[in-house]
Amino acid sequence: MTVDPNAATQGFASPPPGHRRPHPARYLVPALVAGAVAVALGVYGKVHDPAGTAFNLAGFSSSGAVKSWLATVAVFFALVQLVSALMLYGRLPGPAWSSVLHRWSGRAAFLVSVPVAVHCLYALGYQTYETRVFWHSLLGCFFFGAFSAKMLLLRSERLPGWLLPIVGGLVLTALTIIWLTSALWFFRTFGVTT
Amino acid sequence: MKRPGPLLNLLAGLLVGAFMLSLNTTAGTRSTSSSAAQPADTTRESPAATAAPAPTQATSSPSPSPSKIPVPDARYTGRTDDDTSAVALTLRDGRALAYFCDGRAKESWLRGPVDDDGTMRLTGKDGSVLNGALKDGRRIRGTVDIGGGHHAFTADQAEKPAGPYRATATVRDARVDGGWIVLPGGWQVGVLTRDGEPAPAPRIDPETGAVTVDGQRLTARPAAP
Repeated sequence: MTVDPNAATQGFASPPPGHRRPHPARYLVPALVAGAVAVALGVYGKVHDPAGTAFNLAGFSSSGAVKSWLATVAVFFALVQLVSALMLYGRLPGPAWSSVLHRWSGRAAFLVSVPVAVHCLYALGYQTYETRVFWHSLLGCFFFGAFSAKMLLLRSERLPGWLLPIVGGLVLTALTIIWLTSALWFFRTFGVTT
Repeated sequence: MKRPGPLLNLLAGLLVGAFMLSLNTTAGTRSTSSSAAQPADTTRESPAATAAPAPTQATSSPSPSPSKIPVPDARYTGRTDDDTSAVALTLRDGRALAYFCDGRAKESWLRGPVDDDGTMRLTGKDGSVLNGALKDGRRIRGTVDIGGGHHAFTADQAEKPAGPYRATATVRDARVDGGWIVLPGGWQVGVLTRDGEPAPAPRIDPETGAVTVDGQRLTARPAAP
């Protein structure tokens, strides 16, 4: 028993200066940007006086219906994201173009979610008056922060293998809860209307 | 710089967001200045249908835009002829949302399309029916059939904060659904349903929609179709 009790933690805290260890900025910059995006959206939603109404699309009865359907489209693409990611990581058999599918379904989901978020923040703001609304507001801001982090992390190479799945999973989870607390609630309260 | 794709994604999202925000801002100022200026005209109307209401509209309220808008977006509030209940309607894009409320137990949300000649038939989930017609563009005259009762009503065009309001929430594990009608002059009636049990609703602040239900602060929002 020659092992010093402190040795293990020491070795853990300061690993040998390996060449493969990426610069901490690779994690710090995405994390800081993510925090800044989320906080900025929340602050805008809180400070800005909610306009109450905003644009509507022809053929839809209300902006709530428009947003609910756009959010549903986003969730659909997010599910494509999950499946194509599993293909990329070899957990599911997938075609050679599954990476293209992953990229473009992600783009579609993100771009579809942007108008919904703009309407939320512009017309309704960051609200906390009930549990559903609180979680929706919080995760809505978190989603765009986490998505920014995911995009910035993609630009780095030699990341730990678990990092992208974790961040991507966070983005997917946030979007799912956002949908459950908004579109599903809308459809259950007002009916599945267009 | 490797892999520009992710950055382009973020940039595209930012651009879309900024574009939508600018649309909203311009649309917001326009809708406050003139409620009739709605570019979305999805229903294709026949010339005969628009020719009939056009002369009366021209004399009562000259529209700023040359495009023919059969039914302007507006809110209407009023009481039933027997003075037991209130009715509020919001018209938007050829659809109407109405709220009927006696301030104690009877209430119904009704919705449906508004025809180009200003008539409407709105229905509620509870089977209630509202038949109404827009008169002179400033008044809706009609009837509501609810729970075996038949009520005639007149609702005049009203400005904010008059109109129907709604708040739904979960307070102390109870499902709360509140509906209010704010009438011109500060009058208001409302019914608050807790887990299916209707009761008179506490007053809302017409300016902010704030209302306190069982000690919890909620926000009632103007209801629109």
